[in-house]
Amino acid sequence: MGATLLVLLLAAPVQEPPRPAPTPPSSCLQCHAELGGTAAETVARLGEDIHGQKGLSCHDCHGGNPAVGHDGDIDAAHDPARGWREHPTRLQVPQFCARCHADAEYMKRFNPHTRIDQLSEYRTSVHGQKNAAGDTRTAVCVDCHGVHGIRAVADARSSVHPTHLADTCARCHTDEKLMGQYGLPTVQYADYKNSVHAHALYEKGDLGAPTCNDCHGSHGAVPPGVGSVANVCGSCHGREASLFRETEQKKGLDLDLCIQCMVCHDNHAVKAPTPDMLGVGPRSTCVGCHPPGEPLYAAAERMGAGLQRLRTGLDHARELLERAERAGVEVSEDQFALQQAQDQVIEARVLVHSFDEERFQANVDEGVTVVEAGLAAGRRAFGELRERRLGLGVSLIVIVAVIAGLVLKVREIEAKP
Amino acid sequence: MRRRRWLNAFLGTSAGAMVASILYPVVRYLVPPELPEAPTTRALAAREDELRPNQGRLFRFGSRPGLLLRLPDGSYRAYDGTCTHLNCTVQYRPDLRQIWCACHNGYYDVGGRNVSGPPPRPLDAWEVHVANGEVVVTRKA
Amino acid sequence: MSGLPAARAWAWLDERAGLSALGELARHKRVPLHRHSLWYYLGGMALFLFSIQVGTGILLLLYYRGSAGEAFESVQFIMAKVPFGWLIRSLHSWSANVLMFVVFAHMFSTFFLKSYRRPRELTWFTGMGLLGLMLAFGFSGYLLPWNTLAFFATQVGTEVAGSVPVVGRFILRLLRGGDQVTGGTLTRFYGIHVAVLPALTTVVLGLHLVLVQKHGMSVPPGVEEESRREGRAPRTLPFVPSFLLRDAIGWCAALGVLAALAALFPWELGTKADPFAAAPAGIRPEWYFGFMFQTLKMLPGHVLGVEGELLGIAAFTVGALVWLVAPLLDRRPGHPASRAFTVLGWAVLAYIVAFTVLMYVRN
Repeated sequence: MGATLLVLLLAAPVQEPPRPAPTPPSSCLQCHAELGGTAAETVARLGEDIHGQKGLSCHDCHGGNPAVGHDGDIDAAHDPARGWREHPTRLQVPQFCARCHADAEYMKRFNPHTRIDQLSEYRTSVHGQKNAAGDTRTAVCVDCHGVHGIRAVADARSSVHPTHLADTCARCHTDEKLMGQYGLPTVQYADYKNSVHAHALYEKGDLGAPTCNDCHGSHGAVPPGVGSVANVCGSCHGREASLFRETEQKKGLDLDLCIQCMVCHDNHAVKAPTPDMLGVGPRSTCVGCHPPGEPLYAAAERMGAGLQRLRTGLDHARELLERAERAGVEVSEDQFALQQAQDQVIEARVLVHSFDEERFQANVDEGVTVVEAGLAAGRRAFGELRERRLGLGVSLIVIVAVIAGLVLKVREIEAKP
Repeated sequence: MRRRRWLNAFLGTSAGAMVASILYPVVRYLVPPELPEAPTTRALAAREDELRPNQGRLFRFGSRPGLLLRLPDGSYRAYDGTCTHLNCTVQYRPDLRQIWCACHNGYYDVGGRNVSGPPPRPLDAWEVHVANGEVVVTRKA
Repeated sequence: MSGLPAARAWAWLDERAGLSALGELARHKRVPLHRHSLWYYLGGMALFLFSIQVGTGILLLLYYRGSAGEAFESVQFIMAKVPFGWLIRSLHSWSANVLMFVVFAHMFSTFFLKSYRRPRELTWFTGMGLLGLMLAFGFSGYLLPWNTLAFFATQVGTEVAGSVPVVGRFILRLLRGGDQVTGGTLTRFYGIHVAVLPALTTVVLGLHLVLVQKHGMSVPPGVEEESRREGRAPRTLPFVPSFLLRDAIGWCAALGVLAALAALFPWELGTKADPFAAAPAGIRPEWYFGFMFQTLKMLPGHVLGVEGELLGIAAFTVGALVWLVAPLLDRRPGHPASRAFTVLGWAVLAYIVAFTVLMYVRN
């Protein structure tokens, strides 16, 4: 029985699985390349395009029939029965892209966690609202992302990659003629480029630093509402924002009037904050709202003075220990302990955002304690130097005594009898 | 003769004083100091009973700040206490059971891994040894 | 046996170790007394300072660590935590410099007083050997704290050694323990400083001292002339106790000076060496290498097609050789031709002083 089966198996002819018929080249690509000029441009960069890389081609967006028309029959290729959609107008572009990008089922095939709310977000934005109302000058998908050569956002060469995004927005937002039609300023780009965020992003290469879309949103781009500036800044500067919010809740302040973070820190031209922004000095940001005579002016003055006291104390302690070190006393451990005071300075500067004088001063006092310990260590070091000199003095006296004794001894030995 | 005796006594005493003033520092030098060696590869972080479970403390290791943690199960962990973001000194938050950097809100888990906020890398981990009632932290030079 | 315990102990040792022979030697040793006798103290002073180096060096050995990762910290530890560690370390550093000065002074004084003439040529040769050993001690010891200045000074110094033709590369690699100055160089220098050089010095110093005892103190030609004319031997002082007591006065004074230097001008620690950092401006070696360093710096890049630095090294080598064999060249000390050597000596001294000062002024 077994042998029979074996013979049957061995006798059965081996068959190869059927091979699929080879696909003919797409007529879109072939014709457009042959036509040259602008027609060729549309297909020239399909290889760079994220859509092309995922296996999509012209007909996936534009419809039509890529299998026919190799002979030049344009109507056969541009077949309305096969969903041919010609060049969409600027008003049609958002819907054109959203046909796929808002379809969860479709997008899931390519990326399980891609977003599909871009269109609905866009419609909330100023760009989207104006587009829906018929404005053809406002930005649509292809203005930022490009067309026929769209790179993925994470691709560093993409026009919407963080390192290029500001330049993309600036294409329109620095155009005075265009912005003038909407009554919008054009200084934002220049301001931003001077800011500490731009420095971090472009010069230090920190991709975590914000560019336009981090504060304004990508598709739902609007200037942050006056009441939500702190939330925007707070998405990265969490501690400062939460301290700030505590203030609002605790003191029941209506800080909307002050446009929150922007009062002291500007919106686009954000510079690194300096300690003299606190207090009542010439560069203070407090006196703008709290002029002299106002009760909070005094509080601002005290807080500024407290921070100044800590900082100068720290500098003084550092300098004292450095002098002791140069004089030959080893003080590296005391210098290390001063590091904690430096941490307190940073903490104090964060605590400014609580606008809670008591809490701020408590922190400053902690720092001052460390500074005092450092100063005491410095004084101890100089005390040790004095001790050394004392010890030297004693040993020199002894040595001089010995020398004197020796001299007398020599005289005695060699005295003529 | 008397003068000679006086001179000998004087010379002897002052020479003796000189010898003593040389021997005294040498003997003091030879007696080992409290800390037997420079803390470059080894540092005493705490006494065994100083930290409660779920408590942390900063200590000095050479020129770096170190963070010693005692986990809720009683075991110890030690890390280089310098935040990998912009070098502030981190601290342990018992309420969150995480290591926190106050400067820009960076968080690390008790394994030293950066879990939230700006820090780009985990904290450098050091070895902890508990012996003779002391918690000693070591690292490669 | 009867007698005081001290006398009995002496007798016991003498029977076994022959100490009384040494005692005889000491009793009979006399030191000539004349207007140049003051220079006789320099040799003993050098020996005293060297002993201080050995003593403080041994003490430092107990806490120092010779690896790149720990050297700087261990010196810091000695300065800060070890009781009187600052004193031992500063003494060691200051005494090294004072020793170098005294050694140079001793060499020049014996040169000008023509102490190297027959039969003391070997003493001169061993003395030059000791000079070389002291310079090596200084060069190797300077690196041991592993601070920035020392690191780069060592780099420059070994680079110069490496530019010697033919064997330069080999010497450089031998010194550095590789192609670059690394922790390997430090360990190597440490071994050289605490083992190799002390062993060599023991032998050469022993020879030097034995020869000095054998031949006694040399009397300068001028003084010899005078006593010959006056028909009497030069006045002498018994070594024990007169000269020795005077020696002791000098040594106590030196100790006081060193203690003052250590307490009032403690030796700096500097910053830990970072092999990857750029060399800071104004790198220069210790002052006793200064004149050579400054000369090499000032030589033009090329002279007659030969690299300036090579020419400088060649000149130094020839100069050192001539200086070394001076006793064999200056064979007639009383003869007027011998004055050429005195003039040469003054020229060399002036050159060294001038270029040492120049190095400090220029940096």
